[in-house]
Amino acid sequence: MKPAPPLWVLVPALVMVPVLLLLPGISHGGGWELIGQFAWAAVNPSLDPVVLRSVLQGLATTLGIALLGWAVSLLLGLVLGVLSSRTVWRMLAGSSWPAELLRRLLAVPRAIHELLWGLLLLSLLGLNPAVAIAAIALPYGALVARMISDLLDALPTRQLEALRCAGAGPCGALLTAIGPPLMPQVISYGGYRLECALRSATLLGVFGLGGLGNELLLTLQSLQFHELWSGLWLLLAVMLSLEALVSGLRRRWSMPARLALEQRHPVGRSSRELLLAAAALLPLLLGVGRALAVDPAALLHWQPLPPLAPGGWQAALALPWLAMVGQTLLLTLVAAALAVGGAPLLLLVVAPWRWGGWLLRLLWALGRLWPPPLTALLLLFVFKPSLTTAALALGFHNLGILGRLLLEGVEATGPEREEALRCSGSGARLALLYGRFSGLARSYLAYGAYRADVILRETVVVGMVAGTGLGSQLRESLSAFAFDQLALLLAAYALLTLLGEDLSDRARRALLRA
Amino acid sequence: MLSLRDVSVRGRGQPRLDRVCLDLTAGERVALIGPSGAGKSSLLAVANGQLPPDGGQVFWFGESQARSGSRRRRRQQTRIGMLWQELRLIEELSVQQNINAARLAHWGWPRALLNLLVPVDTAACAALLERLDLNPDLLAQPVAALSGGQRQRVALARLLRQDPLLVLADEPLASLDPRLAQELLGLLLQQANAPRALLMSLHRPDLLQHFQRVVGLRAGRVVFDLAPAELEAEQLAALYSGCEPCP
Repeated sequence: MKPAPPLWVLVPALVMVPVLLLLPGISHGGGWELIGQFAWAAVNPSLDPVVLRSVLQGLATTLGIALLGWAVSLLLGLVLGVLSSRTVWRMLAGSSWPAELLRRLLAVPRAIHELLWGLLLLSLLGLNPAVAIAAIALPYGALVARMISDLLDALPTRQLEALRCAGAGPCGALLTAIGPPLMPQVISYGGYRLECALRSATLLGVFGLGGLGNELLLTLQSLQFHELWSGLWLLLAVMLSLEALVSGLRRRWSMPARLALEQRHPVGRSSRELLLAAAALLPLLLGVGRALAVDPAALLHWQPLPPLAPGGWQAALALPWLAMVGQTLLLTLVAAALAVGGAPLLLLVVAPWRWGGWLLRLLWALGRLWPPPLTALLLLFVFKPSLTTAALALGFHNLGILGRLLLEGVEATGPEREEALRCSGSGARLALLYGRFSGLARSYLAYGAYRADVILRETVVVGMVAGTGLGSQLRESLSAFAFDQLALLLAAYALLTLLGEDLSDRARRALLRA
Repeated sequence: MLSLRDVSVRGRGQPRLDRVCLDLTAGERVALIGPSGAGKSSLLAVANGQLPPDGGQVFWFGESQARSGSRRRRRQQTRIGMLWQELRLIEELSVQQNINAARLAHWGWPRALLNLLVPVDTAACAALLERLDLNPDLLAQPVAALSGGQRQRVALARLLRQDPLLVLADEPLASLDPRLAQELLGLLLQQANAPRALLMSLHRPDLLQHFQRVVGLRAGRVVFDLAPAELEAEQLAALYSGCEPCP
């Protein structure tokens, strides 16, 4: 018995069976009328000018933080990426060990979620727009650096050697031989990171680092659903326009799409436009920085740490580490399975409906848009805090991301085989399953493996709200200023994420190799 | 079997099909010829229900086309088989799963899912492969591992597994070497005895004598519809050249 590719993508959806069975047990009976009010408010958002003004202000702050955090992370990532490339060090110094060292060091900031960075910096530096920007720039910069150094090292070095043999200097040779093939990928990936930065900036806001997220949280907690939806719809509009802009530019400049990182496209006549866009970005960034009153020097004014609690390290070591790590891993698996399996299942069920395609797009956009802790808070109206609640919130958010990707993948596989099945009288759903899912199963699951690694990093976010795993302990340690516990928690997170990254890399390679 | 009444399909500038009338009865084998862009593929796409005509009517087995997506339409389509030029096999699935895909219209979800998990209806699939001179051991192979000739036959096996009454074929011989083309044509003609019928587009004047009728299509119009014996060399030359054939 060997399942065929179309089944692979549906297998993770089996996790829904135990989750659905558990739901009655964790429901606390009430709260459905609140959910009803929330749903009704979606079609009836507040149009009060005072509310709209405050929402717009919050949105502008969030966008500014996202843009600045993204720009700094790209800059950091480019520099660190080049510095952690083996090819570059071999060319400049004849040995690649500094690259190896830097790579290992960069794994630490990458492994820690931007929210953790935000909360840590917040308690060290106090509330300040620079904190949110740094919280995004640090982990993103390390991620971009890894991407760039991986790409650099994967490029063939023959052209580089040829230029060196012809007497070119090391820097000139690097720029000429490696710059052009690297550019399209970096720009394509950079666009994708900007979308992520907007989501991260919203999330940081929920935890009080400024911007729209905070308004969303306050309106949700005070049950002002009409005002909440004004913010959500506006955020949705901004997010969808940003995604459309990024994918439009990607197509216009013929950059590779996300599922096709191995394709290489030359930068053609559009390089002039690229330069213009880059030149326009700089004044924009400076203007945003001024408007937000960002002061980078504030990052240097550290507040004195409060004294540690008595008991110190022994108390920290006595925490139930095994249970917390176990819960975190289980949360990751359940949320990843919900998202990876849920997207194709929903597509199969809903897509053949008359408005099915649009309904799915809307649902997935909402999933991407909603910061998982807000979903968790909403779920807490009807469910008790539990691992399942956290998994549902995290799964819904990632469903939005994977669903969009799946739809792009379905469109990219071409309609021919599905049409052939339809012409022989097969139903729409079976034709979709056989005709399209067969072709995209491998690449979709490979992306799912990568996503599971991201989900592991994100468990901290919902864990804090839904009270499960390392996240719930982190919340307590943060509010108690117990820096010994915090240090251990961070180390545990970093270790887990690095292990997860390695596992998901292996799974992805195995899937794509065959 | 198939009846097209004044079927038109709009295109950019000139129509892709212009008031085409065509009738096929059981047991008939009809060749469709014409220069590239004459509308052969559009005609076949209308005939298999893929392309809704902008004007005129299509009748299948004496009934008018049911509404797209309806149960009746699906039942009608199960009786029409199509052999695609690029075969449209599902590369990632095994030969057996591909052949069985022709039964999806009759199967419910449980059986369709089971087909993706374990070999289903092995005897029927093996018999089809043997009938097409293929080794039944191929059933478990993925289609991606087959040679060009083997794939051609697997596509034909899928068609036979569907067991249609009307077979439509869109230039199935185009990319085949002469020996393979001759073989495939033989297989297609052989299974198109009454009550079945065959409508096939092709570019090979030397093979026309195997058909009962030859329909010439040019700029979306039927120019002639004759027995191959009545077809004259000038008419054929005119079909592919610049001028209209003289009546």
